[in-house]
Amino acid sequence: MAEKVLEIRGLTAGFISDKGLLKAADNISLEIMRGETLCVVGESGSGKSVTSLAIMRLLDYAGGLIVDGEILFKGEDLTTKSQEEMGKIRGNKIAMIFQDPMSALNPVFTVGDQIAETLMIHQGMDRKQAMEEAIKLLGHVGIPAPEIRVKQYPHELSGGMCQRVVIAIALACKPDLLIADEPTTALDVTVQAQILDLLKSLQQEFGMSILLITHDMGVASEVADRIAVMYAGTIVEEGTVFDIFDHPSHPYTQGLLESIPGYETTRGSELYTIKGTIPRLGELPSGCRFHPRCPHATDKCRAMEPGSIQLSDTHRTACWLYQEEAGVKKS
Amino acid sequence: MGEYLIRRTIQAIVTLFLVTVFTFALIHLAPGGPTQVMIAPGVSPEAFEVQKRNLGLDQPVHIQYLQWMGRLLQGDLGTTFKNNLPVGDILWPTVGNTLVLMIAAWLVTLIIALPWGIYNSTKVYGISDQFASIVSYLGFAMPTFWFGIILQQIFAMNLKWLPLSDMWTYGKQGDIGDLVMHLIMPVTVLSLGFLASYVKYSRASMLEVLDQDYIRTARAKGVKESRVVFRHALRNALIPIVTILGLDLPILVSGAALTESVFNWPGMGRLFVSMANAREYSVLMAIVLVTSVFVILGNLLADILYAVVDPRVQLGRKGGGSK
Ligand SMILES: Nc1ncnc2c1ncn2[C@@H]1O[C@H](COP(=O)(O)OP(=O)(O)OP(=O)(O)O)[C@@H](O)[C@H]1O
Ligand SMILES: [Mg+2]
Repeated sequence: MAEKVLEIRGLTAGFISDKGLLKAADNISLEIMRGETLCVVGESGSGKSVTSLAIMRLLDYAGGLIVDGEILFKGEDLTTKSQEEMGKIRGNKIAMIFQDPMSALNPVFTVGDQIAETLMIHQGMDRKQAMEEAIKLLGHVGIPAPEIRVKQYPHELSGGMCQRVVIAIALACKPDLLIADEPTTALDVTVQAQILDLLKSLQQEFGMSILLITHDMGVASEVADRIAVMYAGTIVEEGTVFDIFDHPSHPYTQGLLESIPGYETTRGSELYTIKGTIPRLGELPSGCRFHPRCPHATDKCRAMEPGSIQLSDTHRTACWLYQEEAGVKKS
Repeated sequence: MGEYLIRRTIQAIVTLFLVTVFTFALIHLAPGGPTQVMIAPGVSPEAFEVQKRNLGLDQPVHIQYLQWMGRLLQGDLGTTFKNNLPVGDILWPTVGNTLVLMIAAWLVTLIIALPWGIYNSTKVYGISDQFASIVSYLGFAMPTFWFGIILQQIFAMNLKWLPLSDMWTYGKQGDIGDLVMHLIMPVTVLSLGFLASYVKYSRASMLEVLDQDYIRTARAKGVKESRVVFRHALRNALIPIVTILGLDLPILVSGAALTESVFNWPGMGRLFVSMANAREYSVLMAIVLVTSVFVILGNLLADILYAVVDPRVQLGRKGGGSK
């Protein structure tokens, strides 16, 4: 079996407020194998970014904290590391790219400086070597005339170019894991496709694993090996792309799929939207978090939170509909 | 950046020109006209006419302006009523003295305020941050002259640690140690108000920058926290501070004038007060001119610094992101 690059066990993370602890990620478990792409999908506010910042241990700087659980990166628990130790891993073994490429780059330093910095920190290169390497990297991520671009400032580049620069920074040290938090959301559609293609080809070249966060099922279908669907801080369903797209089991996943334009629906041709909105963190409903929006909700759903149930080797879901099937009420 | 600086320099020159026109107009619009301003009262009508011709006041206004400008460009600021002394001889030494006071106060402010504000931005609502708030209330609430007098009472009269006033002890002119002792109180008074606001500016500016996405990118790259603060954040946080520095220059100048009066500092401010009492208009006008030149050059300097710290200025337009 393939090597596990990342294994998250029972991660709970969130923010302290006057109402107490707000769990933006509640008992999350995930695994990513070497060379694999896992997509985490879910609506805005479902806790995707909090989870990814927790892995990077950058949540501390965003005012949040990890309350419980383990984040094993190649067997080592990141939750117990100091920020200093994390500094040797971040940008080196685990890299991250963010949603808005224009604001992700520092406006007062040249593109080259910002790429070179990573190389100087982690690879012990001097400035001259690092700059030469930066030019190579820029060429690698598909930026024309890299020897000119390297001396430019972010405001002189387009959004798509900036995202390529951000990717160049992330890939500078050939990380084992790349976390991409909505890397294409801020870009227009044609550029989106280019950036996704670039990520895929770089992944094949370097053999890295990717954790891609998106709220776009279409993006997930294109790049994911496996998909984890997140809702209100929990993983409600997880499986291979085929599991999720061909046999979506959780009503939330079904709703997400039916809201993709062009997806075959059971409800005719009009575009479906899940009714209601995601609950606020301090105001989670009792029982299953999704029950107020679920067309199949029963009294049981309102009263008790469902556990995770394995539908096949690769496919699990957290929904009472299947709990009953698998357990007591097998008819 | 070149084009931006050329444009700013041209702007500065135009502003300077407007200042000369304004100053000239002030003399000519003063009650009684320029003769009243420039010729001592109580002279006989014949002497009055002679002086008027000597001063060129019988010429048309635009010719007078050109003649006045011509003399200005040669460094001739006119003469006083009393004793007919060249204004320059009185003014220039005080300009130097005022600069000594202002630059000292400015450096002390920045050297204390920037690191303090940066530190507070990393420990928001800590002890140091709250202490800075108290200092800032003091700075805003305490009138300069009152604070100055309290300091004099305590440190000069009671404790006798510091000289009461003036710039030098008699007979010790040129002794740097003596100068520093004389600088301590006026610089403290002048800095206090600025210190408080600059601690706030730098703290607020840093907090805003530390919240930006590119700071998160720097951390995600594995950059050490000290480097995140002092390299990635500070460079950006300085951009608005540099702008404020330029804008605050006139306030520093007027603050210096008040402080000079309290501490009997032989600078332009004190000269202005004594010459206003003596109605020596030509000296007052010269002070206004020189001060305007200071402020304009200071702003030009701030603009140059601004272009140095913010690469987005290169294109001649201010980019987004900075406020
Ligand atoms: N600094 C913070 N303080 C308090 N609550 C926060 C903070 N940051 C995020 N949250 C809350 O945590 C929850 C999860 O947020 P998160 O940013 O992880 O969502 P997301 O799934 O990434 O959404 P999006 O698609 O909008 O990026 C949200 O309810 C959000 O309001
Ligand atoms: Mg997010």
